This record gives sequence, structure tokens and C-alpha cells, in this order.
Amino acid sequence: MSDTGLVLKDVYRVFPGDITAVSDVNLEIENGEYIVFLGPSGCGKTTTLRLIGGHDDPSSGTITIDGELLNGVSPAQRPVTTVFQHYALFPHKSVLQNVEFGLKMQGMDKTAREQQATAAIELVGLSAMMHRKPRELSGGQQQRVALARVLVTRPKAILLDEPLGDLDRLLQMKMRVELRGLQRELGITFIHVTHNQEEALSMADRIVVMGDAIIQQVGTPTELARHPRNEFVAKFMGDNNVLHGTIESASGGNVVINTPHGKVEVPGSGTAGEKGSMAIRASAVNISTDAVPAVNGVRVRLDFVEYLGDSIKLHLDFNGEPFLAKVDEERFGEVQAYEGKEVTATWSVEDGHLLEQ
Amino acid sequence: MTYIWYLIALVLLVIPFSAMVFLPINKSKPVLLGFFLIFIVFMYGPMMTMGVLSFQGPFGSMTLPAKDLGSLHWFTELRAESSLMVGVRDGITKSLWVSLVVAAITAVLSLSLGMAFRRQFRGGGILFYAILLSLMTPGLLLSLGLSFLLYYIGFNKGEGMLGYVPIIGVQAVWALPFGFLVMMSVFNRYDARAEEAARDLGASSFTTFREVTLPLIWTGVFGAGLFGFTLALNEFERTFLISGAINTLPLKLYIITSSSVLRPYVYSLGVVTIIISFLLIALFLIVSAITGRKKALAIEEDGSGVDDLPSMTAAAASGD
Amino acid sequence: MGGSSAVVATTGPRRSPLTTVAWILPGTIWLLLFLIAPLVMIILVSLWERTPVGFAAFSFSLDAYGRIFETSVFLDTLKNTIFRSLLVTALCILIGYPIAFYLARCVKTIKFQIALFIVVLAPFWVAYVVRIIAWLPVLGRQGVINYFLVEVLGVVDEPISALFYSTFAITLALVQLYVLFMVTPIFFQLATLDEAAIEAARDLGATPGKVFREVIFPLSLPGVLIGCIFVFVLVMGEFATVRIIGGGTIQSVGTLVNDYYTIPDLPAAAAAATMLVAVMTVGVAILLRFSKIREVV
Repeated sequence: MSDTGLVLKDVYRVFPGDITAVSDVNLEIENGEYIVFLGPSGCGKTTTLRLIGGHDDPSSGTITIDGELLNGVSPAQRPVTTVFQHYALFPHKSVLQNVEFGLKMQGMDKTAREQQATAAIELVGLSAMMHRKPRELSGGQQQRVALARVLVTRPKAILLDEPLGDLDRLLQMKMRVELRGLQRELGITFIHVTHNQEEALSMADRIVVMGDAIIQQVGTPTELARHPRNEFVAKFMGDNNVLHGTIESASGGNVVINTPHGKVEVPGSGTAGEKGSMAIRASAVNISTDAVPAVNGVRVRLDFVEYLGDSIKLHLDFNGEPFLAKVDEERFGEVQAYEGKEVTATWSVEDGHLLEQ
Repeated sequence: MTYIWYLIALVLLVIPFSAMVFLPINKSKPVLLGFFLIFIVFMYGPMMTMGVLSFQGPFGSMTLPAKDLGSLHWFTELRAESSLMVGVRDGITKSLWVSLVVAAITAVLSLSLGMAFRRQFRGGGILFYAILLSLMTPGLLLSLGLSFLLYYIGFNKGEGMLGYVPIIGVQAVWALPFGFLVMMSVFNRYDARAEEAARDLGASSFTTFREVTLPLIWTGVFGAGLFGFTLALNEFERTFLISGAINTLPLKLYIITSSSVLRPYVYSLGVVTIIISFLLIALFLIVSAITGRKKALAIEEDGSGVDDLPSMTAAAASGD
Repeated sequence: MGGSSAVVATTGPRRSPLTTVAWILPGTIWLLLFLIAPLVMIILVSLWERTPVGFAAFSFSLDAYGRIFETSVFLDTLKNTIFRSLLVTALCILIGYPIAFYLARCVKTIKFQIALFIVVLAPFWVAYVVRIIAWLPVLGRQGVINYFLVEVLGVVDEPISALFYSTFAITLALVQLYVLFMVTPIFFQLATLDEAAIEAARDLGATPGKVFREVIFPLSLPGVLIGCIFVFVLVMGEFATVRIIGGGTIQSVGTLVNDYYTIPDLPAAAAAATMLVAVMTVGVAILLRFSKIREVV
């Protein structure tokens, strides 16, 4: 176990009535990392954040930062601070008073804390709004005040609970870049909770996917996109087709799975006769009017076409089950498909991906 | 001597207040719970003592210790044929009638003002504060001013049916802000799209009001009326100088306490009014609980369509 | 209540100006007739001359004010009434705030919260005269308090006769009668407080005392203010409590107004009432001013 960074070891949180919100969480976060907790609502990601922030205590397990045990330490005493969902700004205090609050609580004298607060406000680009009240600011500006209020106390890690949830889409995109840039500049650990896959993929050094109270997978955005570990992650990350079946044979680093959709071959190893599942990214699926090949191909009907701007997402129907493909416009033009037409979907062996059972 | 009492009171009050200010919630909670219980005793204690003393025997006194507890003597006394008791019963009858009329008027006025404030209009702010002003006007002043007005126009106070007009008027003014706030809270939670749909389908504004709006808010109107009833039943200072010979129960009680030798029938009378008031509160709670349950059920059945509501409203508005 | 943004629900469908007028009219007439006109009348009558049974309309003079300020009685009573109102208001804050705080922040489930709030509020619906009368057996010479002091605790040998018919008794009864006007607005303010702002303050290192001083109290101030206005104004205009519990030996401006009325000297009653309104208005203005200053700082 590392003695630098934030370490969660065997962390459980069971609420009264035997409701397990967080189960068996083991995670090491290095200093300066941008970590995103990703998962559907009720998956335990916010509870985990609250455990780290000290707003809740784990039922068992330990949380340490730089080797220092955090269990039982009050939120105020922890070297981590939270940027709350909906910002939780003090509505009766000005931007400056909001930002200097933490320093005031530490007992710092007025000139020193004003100086530091001013610097933090400058850092988030709100110098012109210093004396305004939160209600006189836009959503994005309020978000920055919340950030400055936390930065000024120089925590070892900043916890952000759905920080972009209240913003409209365009502003979200802008703030993603800004947040990421700020984190690089400061070198502070950011732990960010969201249910938005795109947001997680675009911001994180590493993503922690949570589902049903446990960590489903930890990995870089590329790892998660390319190699989802199990069906939950594959489905949650979106645009993955998951096929189930029985392993027919395994040879040469590949296995062949017999599915109701036909035979598929994927890299990996397994024992014949066991159950096997595989995932294939929508963007790795190709469509054509050719005949169906023996492996890695299905005959599907085109249900409807979704234009995404830079690519086209095809919602396909395989005997009543949905199947997704993402192709570029050029390819789509070549196939001359229309809604209702039958086409063949194929993919190459190395794009398929064997899932853990 | 009295300063000592003030000092004791102050010291007692500083304890819960500083516990609330300086201790974390889990530590201040038991202190505040204790204070809350003392507060309940403070609020209900006098009434309880009065209640106990009303069950004394014929030789019961106005103060402790109670004599021959367990008797209904002072309640049966209320039915005596003495001129005093006849007056008291007459007061009760008058109070009930006045309250009933006030309830109806409060309901109608609250409903119409509630409807008015559903959209912005010029002078709305002034009207709003005028409604609230009645909440903040001491009853005696209202009574005084109205008696001047009556004197000025040569009105004979308390004579005939006409004598009830100022009494009812001033009591409805007192109840109006309460009823109005009830209606405001009803309309704040109220979904106007049903009305818009009715208008879309060709209903006139009157038909819409009768067929759609009223059935949806009648419990609020009923609540406003109930406020009117209860407040009128207990009101006294506002009618004090304008009632003439029309003595409603609270007026009669005031006259009794300030003139005659008091006997425990005053307490039994108090108990009777308390029981009536609490029955009215219970009625109000039952009605709002029933409508609350209906709404909860409706939401449960409705499922998750809530997210689409804004877009529907927008569509309805643009189609106008 | 309060800000003008809360004034309009804006949930209604479009309507014609005529409909608006129709909805406004009955209530407006009612308020003009039974609220505004009486208040205007008080000021007018205070400026008119006295006749043996009433007043002569539109005969302007300031004699009524001369009569009430002839002796020091009125001014002394006014001072006492102001002092009593301030005292009762202060006591109502000291009692009402912790009660509202307990209800809003210590009671966990909403159901329980509503139930307790109803229990607290129920006495408001009991006839006001009855609530005053209910103090008779408690504060009297042989009342509950004396009974405890003499018989149970034995701390005093003789019953304290000063309990009833004293300013302390009046203060106690007034606090009990009006404290609900303080509890209710503070409760609503505290119950709708942004929980996350409090958590954020704690997260940033605020002690319980600091959280209260920096976040909870400033945010609940509008409720305290509304409560103060209610209690101050209503106690200033008090009459029945002082008369029944004070037993005719203690005066308030309200009882003086009533006395002038029974003489009858209607213009003097009106002048006294006008002075009362003036003091109340100044008091409310100071409170509102105080709140504005707080908001700027």
C-alpha cells in the first residue's frame, strides 16, 4: 500500500435497514491525479465521495491520505474539501466573503485572507464580480466561486459532486476544459463525480466506474472505451453491443462463442462448454450489402438513422434485439441503406472483446 | 421584587439559546428537546389547569386546590335558566351564526383575491400589502376606527339584522389574510395546464372556472372558510366597540370577567370553546389529509411523465 | 411573504383586464370599507373637535392632542407600553428562536415535524379571551405557581401576591399569547434553509458557533424580522390582556384609548390611537432599516 496519495481500503458503507451503498471499495489515488467516479444514480459514487469528504463515515475499512488515517476526522479537519452539488454558496455573502470564508474560519487576519481570496478569485477569472452576491451571477460564474472558495484553503484533494450538472451543454464543454486546465496548473488531486460518460471520458486521468455499490472497473478513458471489463461497464459506457453464448472452442489466443446471433470469434482464452460474453463497439461495426460471413457477422434490419454530426449512428434490429453501428457518412452513402432495409453487420476479430462473467 | 422574576426567566432562557448557538446539533438536541417540552407546558399548562378546575363540584373555587373533582356541575350550570346563562347561550348562538357567515365571505373573498393574484396586475403589490396590513393592525384600533365611521354615518350599533354588518365585515377582514395565504399556497402548487387545455377545447372562461378550476381547488376554499369560521368564533377586540347589544361569546366572556364575581363556569365555558376550536382544527387536518392522499395516489399512478411537462407547457403556450 | 417576487403566483391562464377587475373588486371594496376607512377615520377624528357625545366632523383643531398631553399620564403610559413591547419582543425571540430551531432542524421526519408544528400552533385557534382567563388559576394568589413555591418547594412562606395584577404577569401572558407569531416565520425560514450551505461551512472549518453566526442566523433573519414586526405591533396595541390580568391597576395605550372612548372623548381616543400608530410605524421602519443594513454588510 502506498503512503502517498489517497487510499481507500476495504471500504464499506451500510445504511440502516441493511442497505449497502458502498461495498468492498479498494482504490489508490495518486497525488495530482484527475479521478472521475462514474456511474448511474444510486450506484454509490456520491456516498463514496461523502466518505472521503468526511460527511459520512464508513461502516468498515480505512481511508488514508499521505499515510494519515482520515476515519473519524471531521470534514473541517480533513485536508480535502468539497465543491457541493448546486455549489452551496452562501447567498447572503458576496463573492469575496464566500471565498475568504474558509480562511476566516482558520482565524487568519483580515488583510491576509482578503489578499489570498482576491488571488483565488483572479485565478478563476472573476475579479470584476468580487462584490456581487451569488444570485447576481450566472451558473458558470457561481461554479467558479464555489471552486475558488475551495482552492483558497489549499486542500490536498478537491472533491467535486456533479460540478457541471447545473450548466447548459455549451457551458459544460467550456468548463470541462477550464477545470482540467486549472487542475493541471495547480497539481491538486481532483475527485469528480458524474453520471455523464462523455464528461468522464473527456476529463479524467482515470475513471472509476461504479455500479451496484461496487467498483466495476478502474481505468484510463481509452481502457474503458476499448476494453470494458464486464457487461455492466460495456453497457454503461454506451454504444457497445454485447452478445452472450457458449464457448465452442479456444485456440491460438482466440475463442469462438456460439451465440443466438451466430458464431463470433474474439481474442482471449476460455474453456469450451462454458458461458461466454463479448462486446463489440458500435464504431467497430461495419455495414455492407454482402452476404453474412461464417463468423462475426449478423443480418440486421435498419430501424432508424441518427445523425450525430461527424458520424451516423445506425439503430439496427436483429430478430427484435437492438444492435448498434456507427459509420461515417461516406460509408453510409455507399451502402445506400434506408430505414427498413436489411443489411449485414460485420467486424474484425481483434475489435471484439471478451467480457468477464 | 418582580425584577427577580425577570432575572430568573432570563437565566432560564439563556441556557437553551446558547446551547443552540454554540453546540453541534447532536449535543444541543437534548437541551432543546427539554426546552421544547417546557414550552409546551407553558403554552398548554394554563389551559390544562383551567380544564381541571372546570370539573369541580358546586363549591369549587377559581384557584387551586380543586374541590370535589370529577363533577360536571359547572357544565350543567351552563344550561341554567338564569339571565346570565341565557345571555351566554345567546352569545354562543350568535357567535356560531356570525362565524358561519364570516366563513362564507372569507372563502369567497380569498378565492377571488387568490384568482386575481395568479397573474400580475397593476397595483397588485399595494393590494397585497393591504391584505397583510390587516394581520398587523391591532384589533382595538380597527374597532375604534370603525366605530367612528359608524358614528359619522349615524349608524345604530347592534340594532336589528343590520347591526351584524360591521361585526361580520371586520371579522372577515381579520380572517382574509389567512384565507388569502391559504389560496396563494394552493395556487403556487397548482398546475394551470388543465385550464389551458379546457380553453383550448373551447370552454369559456366562466365554464373553465366552474368545470376545471373550482373542483381542483375546493379544499383550499374550504380551508379558507374554516380559517374564517375559527377566527370569527374567537374574535373579540375587533368587535369590541362596534357590537352594541350583539354580544358574541368572546365579548360576553370579556364582560363577565371584567364585571361580575367569577365562578368556575367561566372555566367550563372556556373548555367548551377550546373543544370547538380543536374540533375545527381536526376537521381541517382531516380534509387536507384526504386531499393530500388523493394527490399522492394520483402521482404514484402517473409514473414518470413529469420530465416532459415543461415542453408540453411550451407547446401549449405557443399553440395559443 | 415579503419580497414582491413572492406576491404573484403567475400560474394562471391569460385573461381579460375586465376579469382581473372582477376578481379584485370584492376584496378591495371590503378592505377599503373595513380596514382602510377605519384607519383613516382614526387620524381624521383625532384632528376634529369634541362634542358631548362624539365629534364634530371637519371642525379641525389640535385640541385632542392637547388634552392627552395635558398630564404626563399618556406619555408615561406610552413609554411603558413601548418598553413592554420591546421586552416581550425580546423574550419572544429568546423563546421562539430555539423552539423554531428545534422543530426545523432537530426533528428528523417531515411527518413528525408537521405534527409537532400543529401542536405548537394549536393554541392560536383558542379564543384569545379564554387564553387570558386561563392564566387566572396559574398566576393568582392561590395559583399554581404560588402553590408550588409555598407548599411543594417551601422557598417562600407567604404566597407572592404580586404575581397576578403585576407587570410581570402581563409580560408572561403576552409572551404566551404572541410567541407563535415569532415561532412561525422563523420556523419557515429555518425549514427552507439550504442544507448544503451549512455543510459547506462545516467543510471549510466552521465551528458550530461560527456556522450559526455566519450562516444559519443571517439566513433566518428575514423570519426573525417578520416575527419582530408582528409581536411589537400587536403588543403595542394590546388592551384586553392588560385589562384582565392587570386588573385595572396597570395601563397601556390600548386601555387608555378605551378609557377616553368611554368618557366619551372620541377625539382624544383617536389622538391616542394615532400616536400609537405613529410609534408602531416608526418601530417597523427602524426594523426594516436594520434589515437593509444587514443585507448590505
